Amino acid sequence: MDVIDDADELAPPRRVAPYVAAAVGVVLLVFIGVLATRKPAEERDQQSPLVGKAVPALSGATLDGGRYDIDNQRGRYVLINFFASWCIPCQLEHPELVQFAQRHEAAGDASVVSVSFQDSEQKIRDFFAQKGGSWPVIAGQNSAAIDFGVAALPESYLVDPNGIVVQKFVGGVRADDVDRTIAEVERLRQGAQP
Amino acid sequence: MNVALGTAGVVLGLLGALVGIITLAVGLVRRRPSLVRSGRMYAFMVLGGGLLMTVAMQVALLTDDFSVKFVHDTSSTKTPLLFKVATMWAALEGSLVLWALILSGFTAVVAWRYRDRITDPLVGWALLTMFVVCLFFFGLLAGPANPFRAVSVAPGYDGPGPNPLLQNHPLMAFHPPMLYLGYVGFTVPFAFAIGALVTGRVGEGWLLGTRRWTLFAWGCLTVGIIAGAWWSYEVLGWGGYWAWDPVENASFLPWLTGTAYLHSVMVQERRGMLRVWNLSLLCATFSLTILGTFLTRSGVLDSVHAFSESGIGPWILTFFALVVIVTIGLIGWRGDRLRAPGRIDSPISREGAFLANNVLFAAFAFVVLLGTVFPLIVEWSNGERISVGTPYFNRMTMPLGLTLLFLMAVAPVLPWRKASGELLRHRLLWPAWVGAGVLALAVLAGARGLAPLVAFFLAGFAGGAAGRQLVLATRRHGWRGLVGRANGGMVVHLGVIVIAVAFAASSAYARQAELTLVPGQTATFAGHTLTYRGVVTKTFSNRTSVAAQIEVDAADVYEPALSTFGSGRSLVGTPSVRTSAVDDVALSLLALPPSGDDAAPVTVRVIVQPLIVWLWIGGGVMAVGTLLAIVPTGQRRPTDPVSAAPFSSRGAGGPGDGGDGGDRPGDDDTGPDDDTGPDDDLGGRPTPGEPAVVG
Repeated sequence: MDVIDDADELAPPRRVAPYVAAAVGVVLLVFIGVLATRKPAEERDQQSPLVGKAVPALSGATLDGGRYDIDNQRGRYVLINFFASWCIPCQLEHPELVQFAQRHEAAGDASVVSVSFQDSEQKIRDFFAQKGGSWPVIAGQNSAAIDFGVAALPESYLVDPNGIVVQKFVGGVRADDVDRTIAEVERLRQGAQP
Repeated sequence: MNVALGTAGVVLGLLGALVGIITLAVGLVRRRPSLVRSGRMYAFMVLGGGLLMTVAMQVALLTDDFSVKFVHDTSSTKTPLLFKVATMWAALEGSLVLWALILSGFTAVVAWRYRDRITDPLVGWALLTMFVVCLFFFGLLAGPANPFRAVSVAPGYDGPGPNPLLQNHPLMAFHPPMLYLGYVGFTVPFAFAIGALVTGRVGEGWLLGTRRWTLFAWGCLTVGIIAGAWWSYEVLGWGGYWAWDPVENASFLPWLTGTAYLHSVMVQERRGMLRVWNLSLLCATFSLTILGTFLTRSGVLDSVHAFSESGIGPWILTFFALVVIVTIGLIGWRGDRLRAPGRIDSPISREGAFLANNVLFAAFAFVVLLGTVFPLIVEWSNGERISVGTPYFNRMTMPLGLTLLFLMAVAPVLPWRKASGELLRHRLLWPAWVGAGVLALAVLAGARGLAPLVAFFLAGFAGGAAGRQLVLATRRHGWRGLVGRANGGMVVHLGVIVIAVAFAASSAYARQAELTLVPGQTATFAGHTLTYRGVVTKTFSNRTSVAAQIEVDAADVYEPALSTFGSGRSLVGTPSVRTSAVDDVALSLLALPPSGDDAAPVTVRVIVQPLIVWLWIGGGVMAVGTLLAIVPTGQRRPTDPVSAAPFSSRGAGGPGDGGDGGDRPGDDDTGPDDDTGPDDDLGGRPTPGEPAVVG
């Protein structure tokens, strides 16, 4: 066998591996650092720049012919629900909204307002007729979803009696969860003003 | 009872791994073979622990033992039997049980397989590495992800059952175990790579020793990924099978680096080159499986099928950091010593093609990794949240994929070291004709658009090259021409090509519509007639389904459905697909008709995509090819790197394809490894007396 060994032609090996390895290592450690400091996606979804700030303007004609303005709702909690009749999670969520509205109907300490997204008025009427719920529905205001930064339906925002957004709910809400949040906010408020 | 047994299994595995590490470490450092030999035995203790905890978990699932936390949280008496078994890997803690079981199995097989060579420090360190990985996974099960915590349940309690999407299709019983066999299987070559780095052993012996392990892991990963794509196509109902979702990418990344390794390792075996690179690829592959575990189990990324949030993220990330620091430290320390003595003579050669292949696969992996973690990096740098969508991945990976197809056509006909233009023209002639034929056929069938047509041509070209190799090899060796790494590899190539064609066609020519139909109404879409017959409601033990009966092409009736599982909080679509060799008609029910109104319309999404079924067939071909590649060919000489003769004086080429250039005696039995004759890429050494010239 005529062996041709290229090694003979090579220059003596330089010490490069440690430097390359160190460079790669530093990049990877920074990467690991980035990963280590990320919050879970679920938590990040719940974060909204709106939380802790005054609720954006929300007003318009409602389906029953009246007008709605979020600024007239001071003094009680408002759950703003973004939905569409064609969205299956919204259909599933609806009974929870009904339950929440019923719980607070007598006391009047909290209310629901629905904002439809890309939907026809007739379909929304059918939706409410079939599934119940008599709270105001603002239709044809697609810009509201943009103001609130809605990413996917359904999404809900809880506004406190002072008009401050206190919580964002991604996906279908549960009446119990909203009530728990209200109780938590009340507890903090009472703690702050003994 | 199951709580006690399961916990005992976890503790047994944990202790076995821990004592194994200590015994092996002391034995290796102090050079005491007796200690090393006894350290090996702890692998079987780890396996015992893995089996015990798995049996306890399965018994708990099958007997609805809700006193086990995991069963309490994820199973239900109403879950059908198959899915009760599969529930183990339908949620986070149980999936780690499966992972640890497979890992303990691999560890035990390594301990058994290398029982005679255990005192070889390289094997010792490899086993030690496996014990460390075992320690980590059993540690997760013992602490932060303990599935065997006891809970007290009220009589009559029934659990929620697994996620509806995970009890909707039998593939769920199959896809995760295959995927995990692949993921975990890469631990073995990684462990040997660590062994080689620690001992500083120059040479290719360990590579040969782990070759089949790597192929086996790679084959399982391939099948697991394709089964996952199939599952998502059948279950999710958006007509897609690959969405570049973080979880999918997490399985694809180690596949890419593993595939790169399978190719570049041949350069090392043959020429002794790329040693550090190959070690790095193995370490990267293993690290990426751990990174994938982190991404899918820590809740750090949004994904349609990430596991639920849990506290194990920091643990996995710490382990990932440990793996990275140790492997990079070892490579930095040993790299110069291991560096290749050889050099690539000409880019137009087999090794040049493998090098190009590796650059492309590395770029591919980088593009996918970047796309997966880019949202996290952007958020870190400026606090904004972005998402990287399918368009990025498609645009970035398409040129890479097409170039890989081109290489797949050219590389198998290239000889080692150097190729002449004459030789290339000769060998590429008929693959090129096959490509042209496929292109003409596609145009005749109505295919348009630059990218898919380029893909079809290159697929035909590459298929011709692989087919040429197989034809030459089988003409000469009969069925034996299909086995061995090179020939099995060509079968794998054919599978990849089939998938590439199906992928290009199904994504370029998909048509989709939403039809609203009243009972008896017929609609025509994309050449198919769909008639809505009515609605049926079916009740199963675990779900209630409302199905729309749709007759496709006036023949069979398909029933896309919406199902309510268990507690009824989620409504899950069950698509129904009419499959044929030409195209698939996938139907999903979008909106339920109001109950009780039989004349109400339903809305159905129809997606017609050509050649979908060939994705799964291609996957099957890849699996068969991998098996063929694993089959021992029996006649293998010990590898003698760098000393491969560049040209053999023996053997003159025949006049045409099928002519035999003659083999060097003792050349290995893998076709394209042959670099001798001007015309030959057949593999194998003829058995004595067998005529060398055929055809």
